[in-house]
Amino acid sequence: MKVGKMISGTMRLALVLAIICGLAFPAAITGIGQALFPYQANGELAQVNNTTVGSYLIGQSTNNSHYLFNVRNDSASGVDPDITVASALAQAQVIHNSTGISMAYLAGLIHNNTHYSMFFFGTAYVDSLYLNIQIIDHFHNTVSVYGKIYNETGK
Amino acid sequence: MIGAEYLLIIALVWTIIIGLAWGLSKYLKKVYENEKTFLDWILNPVESFIYRIIGIDRNKEMDWKEYFLALFSFSIMTAVISFLVLFFQGFLPLNPMKFPDLSWSLALNTAMSISSNTNLQHYGGGSSLSYLSQMVGIQFLQFTSAATGLAVAVAIFRGFSGKKKDGAKLGNFYVDLVKSITRVLIPLSLISAVILIAFGIPQSLSGYSIVQTLSGAAQIIKVGPVASLVSIMQLGTNGGGYFSANSAYPLQNPSPLTNYLELGMMMLLPTSVIFLFGRMLGKKGEGRSIVLASYGLYAIDLAIALVPVFSLGAGMETRFGGFSPVFWTVTTTAFTTGSVNTSLAAMNPIVILSAFMGMIIQATPGGIGVGAMYMLMYVIITVFIVGLMAGKTPEYLGAKINAKDVKLAVLGFLSHPIIILIPTALAYATGAVHALGFGNGPVGFTQVFYEFTSSAANNGSDFLGTEANTVFFNVSTGIVMWAGRFIPILIMLAIAGRMQDRKRSAEIALRTDNLVFPVVLIASIFILAVLTFFPFLSIGPILMHLGGLKNAL
Repeated sequence: MKVGKMISGTMRLALVLAIICGLAFPAAITGIGQALFPYQANGELAQVNNTTVGSYLIGQSTNNSHYLFNVRNDSASGVDPDITVASALAQAQVIHNSTGISMAYLAGLIHNNTHYSMFFFGTAYVDSLYLNIQIIDHFHNTVSVYGKIYNETGK
Repeated sequence: MIGAEYLLIIALVWTIIIGLAWGLSKYLKKVYENEKTFLDWILNPVESFIYRIIGIDRNKEMDWKEYFLALFSFSIMTAVISFLVLFFQGFLPLNPMKFPDLSWSLALNTAMSISSNTNLQHYGGGSSLSYLSQMVGIQFLQFTSAATGLAVAVAIFRGFSGKKKDGAKLGNFYVDLVKSITRVLIPLSLISAVILIAFGIPQSLSGYSIVQTLSGAAQIIKVGPVASLVSIMQLGTNGGGYFSANSAYPLQNPSPLTNYLELGMMMLLPTSVIFLFGRMLGKKGEGRSIVLASYGLYAIDLAIALVPVFSLGAGMETRFGGFSPVFWTVTTTAFTTGSVNTSLAAMNPIVILSAFMGMIIQATPGGIGVGAMYMLMYVIITVFIVGLMAGKTPEYLGAKINAKDVKLAVLGFLSHPIIILIPTALAYATGAVHALGFGNGPVGFTQVFYEFTSSAANNGSDFLGTEANTVFFNVSTGIVMWAGRFIPILIMLAIAGRMQDRKRSAEIALRTDNLVFPVVLIASIFILAVLTFFPFLSIGPILMHLGGLKNAL
């Protein structure tokens, strides 16, 4: 067999496929994704006061744990935004004590945004950043600490 | 005891995937046997263009040596391209985050890892690879290594299905490779990628964004061409994620829904290829009995892993709870994919034992194309053993199996423990293990033994991750990954080439398409594979379990 011919053939094949699979394919998917699902394709960015403050998929540890829901620090990714409903309810009590926001409101918020690890059963969880942004949007005129975060994000 | 609702989820996933795989195998047969398909109008001209550029004769039939040589030289080319892109990424475009070049040993390890369908990752994807590196250094090879697996499978199937009237041999590697990409992997990845984006996986080339969090801290949102990579890395049983935390990272696997989509994606093609075997033989029952055997082994893996009680804990992601990480860990090793949705260190040693079994057997159902290949290797050994016990000449599909076939199959089987145990011993002898901070206990042994088992099985999941980015581990696992990939492929192509011309008798002495044969096959695989490794498993995960030891997170 002509080895030289085979080597030049496989090299050309590899280069052509590098362009098709490595460049054209991801570029095409990017075009489709950005056109059809721009919110998801850009990382589900979260906004407060028209300013991006993070991604709903990426957890934020907070230094305001009396006022905001905090993430767990021992997840596999290190950036898990989700906390169990049990943890959220325990944290809601602290937030209630510090801000006066009613437990009924906080428990309702948790209840309405609960997901399950097995769709209908398994671990019940909520997205901590989603809850925090709901609270800030709702109470920035009445609770000073939320007003401060709300105004600072606008800078 | 595990709740019935969890068993129902497993049954549901299996039913859907086996059903889809069965349907897809009809299409695969058309692709590889040059029948008309609905994509011909667009793909015929595209493929003709590719063949013209590379200047090959698409009608040339290859024997097993030519097929292997083409496959091997092509794999080297892809590894060279990957190495160059990674080694020079600092100079190359599409690097908005300005990541520096990878070291030579890390670039070498990565190129050998992705080109061998292993995807062991000693690099931190999200924190050290440019967009170009992710796309051309990684994702391109995820397509080609998966396509190589498909090509190997159909070539071997052609050999096993016997002599063709038109003098056809094992096929043409280039044609099988190109069609696997254009007609199978790209269409499936395209559909999957768009679905994954719709459910929250990013796909962007605009660079990472830095935001100010609610607490005023800076946070990097690592968006990139993630969905396009995740689709092929799961469908092609590659498993090398965009991020270090792989499918535990929320941007790669944001919800329980994407979790089960990704899980199903890694099961689809390996299963479908086994059905394709039956279809190409013209004896669907033969494919069915191998699917039964491989899913029987997969069920045993799951049953073992589900013995310990599972619950959400440290090292896991809240959205997946306690069950999905176990289901995924078993599946990703049973299909030798290697992506993870949890920290492996969070898994009970018994789950890790089950993971080892998947990587030791490699056919439960195994990786794309090669899982079916390993199953045929076990079939040859099994019919030999059965023949000995029954006092009959061993045969499969009406063809006699002779001594040299059995010797080759045993050689293929034995290559696996050899390339795992020698480097594991070397890692201790040279002090490379101790350099990572491990003593001589079962925890360190489990993790290092896992590293080489995962490399040899072309799985790619690991405990060590970027910690193993040392010259010793980069070079040693690189060699093991290539040996684990190409030695068995070479041997099985040789067996297929030998089988092709063998006389077939119409009388079948040993039925292999019934319900008894899969049970015999499972038993013989267990005796062969698990007993070979039992001493090493017992001083690793089994000793950890008995001693109540856990991996440090």
